[in-house]
Amino acid sequence: MTNDFMLLFPVILVSLGAIGLMLAATCRCVQIEQAAWACGGLFGFAFLVQLAATLTGDQALYSSLFNDILVVSPFSKAASLVILGCGLFTVCSSLSYFKKNNFSSTEYYSLLLFAASGMLLLTMTRELISTFIALEIMSLAIYILVGYDRDNVLSTEAVMKYLILGAFAGAFLTMGSAFVYGAAGSTKFALIGNFVATTGFLSNPAILAGSFFILVALLFKAAAFPFHAWVLDVYDGASMPITGFMATALKTAIFAVFANFLLADSGLQQGWVTFLFYIAILSMFMGNFIAIGQSSLKRMLAASGIVHSGYLLIGLVALGSQPVPGSVVAFYLAAYAAGTLGIFSALSYLSGKGEQWKNFDDFKGLAKTKPYTAFAISIFLLSMAGIPPTAGFMGKLYIILAAIQAGQITLAVLGIVSSIVAMWYYLRLIVTMYFHAPERSFAEECPSRIGTVSTLVLVLCVFAISLYPIAL
Amino acid sequence: MFAHLLSVMIFLPIVAGLILLFAPLSRTTARIVGFGVSLAVLVLSIDVYAGFSATGKLEFVEYIPWIPSLGIAYHLGIDGISLFILMASAVLLPMVYVLFGTREKGYYANLLLVEGAMIGAVCAADLVLFYVFWEVMLLPVFFMLGLYGGPRKIHATLKITLYTIAGSLLMLAALAYLAVQYHALTGEWSFSIEKMGLLDLSGHAAALALFGFMIAFAIKIPLFPFHTWLPDAYTEAPTATTFVLSAIMAKIGVYGVIRVVMPAFEMEFARYALFFAYAGVIGMMYCGLTAIAQKDYKRLLAFSSASHMGIIAVGVFSMNVQALTGTIYQIVAHATSTGVLFLFAGILEERTRTRTINDLGGIASQAPIFALFFAIAMLASVGLPGTSGFIGEFLIILGALKFNVAVGVLTGLSLIIGVCYMLWLFQRVFFEKTKTASERFKDLSPVESLAFVPVILLILVMGIYPHPFLRKIEPSTAQYFAAATPIVAQATTATPALAADLTTEKN
Repeated sequence: MTNDFMLLFPVILVSLGAIGLMLAATCRCVQIEQAAWACGGLFGFAFLVQLAATLTGDQALYSSLFNDILVVSPFSKAASLVILGCGLFTVCSSLSYFKKNNFSSTEYYSLLLFAASGMLLLTMTRELISTFIALEIMSLAIYILVGYDRDNVLSTEAVMKYLILGAFAGAFLTMGSAFVYGAAGSTKFALIGNFVATTGFLSNPAILAGSFFILVALLFKAAAFPFHAWVLDVYDGASMPITGFMATALKTAIFAVFANFLLADSGLQQGWVTFLFYIAILSMFMGNFIAIGQSSLKRMLAASGIVHSGYLLIGLVALGSQPVPGSVVAFYLAAYAAGTLGIFSALSYLSGKGEQWKNFDDFKGLAKTKPYTAFAISIFLLSMAGIPPTAGFMGKLYIILAAIQAGQITLAVLGIVSSIVAMWYYLRLIVTMYFHAPERSFAEECPSRIGTVSTLVLVLCVFAISLYPIAL
Repeated sequence: MFAHLLSVMIFLPIVAGLILLFAPLSRTTARIVGFGVSLAVLVLSIDVYAGFSATGKLEFVEYIPWIPSLGIAYHLGIDGISLFILMASAVLLPMVYVLFGTREKGYYANLLLVEGAMIGAVCAADLVLFYVFWEVMLLPVFFMLGLYGGPRKIHATLKITLYTIAGSLLMLAALAYLAVQYHALTGEWSFSIEKMGLLDLSGHAAALALFGFMIAFAIKIPLFPFHTWLPDAYTEAPTATTFVLSAIMAKIGVYGVIRVVMPAFEMEFARYALFFAYAGVIGMMYCGLTAIAQKDYKRLLAFSSASHMGIIAVGVFSMNVQALTGTIYQIVAHATSTGVLFLFAGILEERTRTRTINDLGGIASQAPIFALFFAIAMLASVGLPGTSGFIGEFLIILGALKFNVAVGVLTGLSLIIGVCYMLWLFQRVFFEKTKTASERFKDLSPVESLAFVPVILLILVMGIYPHPFLRKIEPSTAQYFAAATPIVAQATTATPALAADLTTEKN
């Protein structure tokens, strides 16, 4: 009992907090700011608890719960750390974002917690039904958050697209689960793995089709090619903090469950390696070509998210060669999350009322007027581009090492080529900020202190993750 | 003197540079701080030089595990090869602070950052650490060029940055390949550059990895045909940046070839050496001929620098102890001659406000000291006996002849081209009739002259009495050819393989 409680503590904390805030929202006496602080505090506390659990190693006697439905592994711990961190910084950037925009309410923070609890469950789940439930807990909250600005046309468009396509993805997942259950007679990853190991992967069409549908659903959520088309509009329509949250925490959760699913059995992973190989390559290059053409910073970041999904897929293809399964993926996720959250955190206070400034050209000469912010953004961009000594570099190095170790030299080389292409659009913003004369003063954006502090902390994170790679 | 000499030399400028960037200081303070820090590094480097005992192995080693699970470590050390590049950067950088006083704070701060990163790249004995410093080295150049460069600065900045980053990312893949191969061979993870020497890679994948490294280094050097970023960047960059790029950073590319590529890819390197040597020769000739045609003296010097880097490259690819020793020697000679010529060009540009050769003339009568110093640096750069350039080029041509007669002869011939454009430049700028732009040219002030004196002395001393320098270099270069399977021995067996390869490529 205590054992289970310890393992589940972060999830319990976050979901109780979500329910509590939702109830508190009915009472007028709770201010929005207070709700935000409570939500941030919960994330922070859960983060620290999880950090302590990660650093002290396996204190718990058993790592599985509820008859092996949930399993806590080092990988799931690392992924949930990333998710909780993302939640914390999203709250911080929301605070500064809503200084200029006023469509927030107490429920906003409650929904953030709901989404996070779904994500935390996703990292641990080793069973198809609970995967579906966790995925839907997360998705439902995210749908609402995307469309939170009800007066904004773009936001409404985004939520419509995301909801309809997301519902399809959910349906695919259920159908896939049904097929797999029909063949293997169980929904647990471990038992499915055993079944595949004994009967072979290709010999059973139901397994083949079922796992294909599951992969489709996961690839859709991860915004990988060819299911990437929704990303640009949805990210563009959602508010800055939520875009950041989706780009980082959601991706972490999806890749966690993805890795767990593939890890269930090496036969399953081997069966899909070729498929994932092409998906990875196409995601990277498709994302790059989309990103190059964007004039909106937010859309560029959305497209670069597709590229990073491609890198993470390289990590999944090379799962077998990692010292601790998934460690490379988890590290890359942490590195990517720090950079992306940082940039969205800075944009949250720079974009102004109604996000009127989000194009490349709007940031001309930022270095002259706001040198520290420009410096921070440059660091985040360099991290996303993988320039040392930032976290992104270490992430890329591990991915490349793992790929070569697994014998996937082509994939490693193409990954490198793609990051050369990516340099162009990351550098473009740095060039705009530093080498052009300022066109506006940026004076009207007096950022709240919390926004600048969290940006600074994220800059430190970017370096700390690189210099002390605890995930490995 | 104290334990972490190299670390101090790396991080003192980096930390000072970062503080300068963020602290609200005036530009004079920044200049003084920058000068002070670079002088401190110089003093430390003299300490290193004096304490260096030329054993041929790494000295001043520092080793702290960084990521133990992958064998990545904070591992520093220098040998006779890195020592001279380290010294060149330590000796030359303080000059910049003396000579250029009207720049912004960020300019001085970035110079410090680049100094620290360059020293780091040269001292690193771990591949990942080397890569980190290698990339960090580029960032200050990016900002200096983009912020303080000439009218076409953005174009030039993007060109050099994308070019070099493309190269270094290929290197990243190649170094990951090396580490995986090492893991496969020994069962342990390591990124130590020394240990990579144990590998003897051959085959298609190894050739690919070799080219991954070589492209990265060739872009930095720059070696033909990867030189196209150079004229733009060298011309648009502010003087100090051009100086740093040409005098030191280009050399780190050569250093990379010697340190990383030669030991790890013995067989494949020998197979392609002739090919690379010809690339060097072609670059040398091509850039030399282009230099003759230039109307802008800074651009002329840019091509001349590239042309002389071709000679250094030939020295590396000739694969024998004479040529390699000559290469190291020539690295210092090139830094103190061609590199320093860029400083003169900067002064010339600042005072006459023109970069067109035809606008100038008769400066020798206006400014005799300036003309004298310029002449010495120029003659050293063309390799006149009695200057540092002679020793280096002589050794390289000797080694090249030993390696392949055609390469040696062509290298010798291309030196004549160098003499042509340099002397012609000197004639047009310093003699002939005085033009309006150069009418009021002020000679060097005593302080400025004093800043140049050490370099001029160095050129002469290295030209007349090279022994003490060669003594420090030779043990390390000899190490390369004294190992169990020396690279030279394979050269003869591998050359036919190249010819065969070339014919298959044609088919």
